[in-house]
Amino acid sequence: MEFITGVYLFFIFVSLYSVFLILLIYLRNKDKLYFEKGAEKFYDISVIIPAYNKEDSILDTVNAVKSIDYPKDKIEIIVVDDGSKDKTARIVANIEGIKFFEKGYNSGKSDSVNLGIRNARGEIIAVIDADSYPEKDSFKKMIGYFDDPEVGAVTASCFVKNTGKLIEKLQAVEYFLIAFGRKILDFIDSVYVTPGSLSMYRKKLLVEVGGFDTKNITEDIEIAWKILKNKYKNRMCLSAKVYTDVPNTLRKWWRQRLRWNIGGFQTVHKYKDSFFKKKLNMFGLFVVPRFFISHVLSITGFFVFVYVFGREIFQKATYWILSIQSGNTILEAPSLFLIPSVFTFFILLLFVFTLVFTYIGLKTANKIGIGFRVSFIILFYLLFYLTLYPLVLLHSLYLLAAGNVRW
Amino acid sequence: MVKFGDLFWKALILTVIVFLLGVLLGFALERNRIGDIEREFQRIDLQWSDAKLQTLYYQNLEPRFCNSAIRENLEFADKVYNEGLKIENYDAASFLTDDLELEKRKYALLKVEFWLNSIVLRERCKADYINLVYFFANDPEFEIESEQDTQAEILKDLKEKYGKSLMLIPLPIDMDISMINIMKGTYDISKTPTILINEKIKLEGLQSLDEIENLIENEQL
Repeated sequence: MEFITGVYLFFIFVSLYSVFLILLIYLRNKDKLYFEKGAEKFYDISVIIPAYNKEDSILDTVNAVKSIDYPKDKIEIIVVDDGSKDKTARIVANIEGIKFFEKGYNSGKSDSVNLGIRNARGEIIAVIDADSYPEKDSFKKMIGYFDDPEVGAVTASCFVKNTGKLIEKLQAVEYFLIAFGRKILDFIDSVYVTPGSLSMYRKKLLVEVGGFDTKNITEDIEIAWKILKNKYKNRMCLSAKVYTDVPNTLRKWWRQRLRWNIGGFQTVHKYKDSFFKKKLNMFGLFVVPRFFISHVLSITGFFVFVYVFGREIFQKATYWILSIQSGNTILEAPSLFLIPSVFTFFILLLFVFTLVFTYIGLKTANKIGIGFRVSFIILFYLLFYLTLYPLVLLHSLYLLAAGNVRW
Repeated sequence: MVKFGDLFWKALILTVIVFLLGVLLGFALERNRIGDIEREFQRIDLQWSDAKLQTLYYQNLEPRFCNSAIRENLEFADKVYNEGLKIENYDAASFLTDDLELEKRKYALLKVEFWLNSIVLRERCKADYINLVYFFANDPEFEIESEQDTQAEILKDLKEKYGKSLMLIPLPIDMDISMINIMKGTYDISKTPTILINEKIKLEGLQSLDEIENLIENEQL
């Protein structure tokens, strides 16, 4: 058996393991996906909206929060302007019934949220991005989780608001699957991110851990890990929904994903000591190793892909050049005769599993019918969109290695 | 982890079971294909023994029936050639077992034997077919692989064009088979691709269809 065959088989084994783990968690908990812990107590909530150059969306975000179905005397809205260069501050200054802090300088989202936390009176802090719009019933669905003193944070399903362009549609599929995946991880206490679009935190805990890390560019991953490390739990409320604006060009999308990846690396680096620490439970034994291993496998897999297909392409190109030089025909009907091998079985199996996961994920997260158009988007998502991931990952690594990380 | 440990273990057990099933299926598929080639080899080998005896008989006792011997030899050549292509396809889909290597060696030996017989037959029976031996490497260096692929395609076209008047005998030179090593020494074959036409003309490196055709035409004159 050749070395490369061993590498393929290793990748297949790891992929199968991930698939079966997800499948088993899903099967054990499928009746509890939409479980909502009814609110026994309406906690005071301080909603913090950090804003930087969000003149187009800030008003809609604040209005969406204002119209949330929750006792009005139990909610305070805090908007922190992070030194916007557009009209954000002017727009917010005219909104009534909110607390507004204008920093006058740009120091990042974490710093803005921390400022909000220092000035918040609520027991619970809800952080909402200035381009996200929570559904009316989202707070009521989420708040009950805090009755459990072990819960440090609660996240919601984040869906895409703008779905006109293909890239937005692809992200819509992705966001549904992310929400579903996060719910699956919730069942094993492994929610590793509390997205900025809408997440709630126990204020006491945030103060205890020193708030959000101002040096990390993915503060929503870092804070989630900090909570887990302090032996609290992050929960995912699948039925609570928030809609968000997503990048509408490939360039913006790429930049966003670079930020996610680099922030992810920063976080892994920061928490490297937690690797396989049994006393940290799922955080040390699963969350950190899984994050690290999936990145390593993704990069390794990319290089294997480049090696194998690059070699093939180079050889085909040389073959064509030589054929032309020798006056030989190069246009011939490709052979459709497929000889089944060990990989045919595994690739088909994994593809079927991926399709099933996507189907269940979409049905669960959005309860939509899968028609022809949606099927096309899903196929495009699986066959093309996902292949961009390793490329962004490599670019992120390059930027990190070059020390060129600025946001 | 302990709390959810059973899930992780169950997932591992399931993975191991499915993984082993997949690998076993892969082994079974490859073994089945090797069995197919082995059966075909036995059939061809039997046919070859028959053809050899016919050659012997016609050459020594009934020279006037040389044409029958030549026809048998040519038909046999086509069978071995097509079987070689089949082994090539199977080889591309073999990842787990090395047993195909043995079959490849057996076929290589059969092809050498057939080549020798073709030489004898052409001389004794004054046959006018062309013997074209194509020396290639099973495991060539990266830059040689494309040359070999191109040469193989050119020779396939040539074979299609000339049909039974061309005996195309592809021989691997890197399988450490004594008889092939002797042939390599005899004709001073040291690199691939190399073509040997009627045991007289040796062409090293990639050759175009026109070049080979010209030489064949000259040989036939």
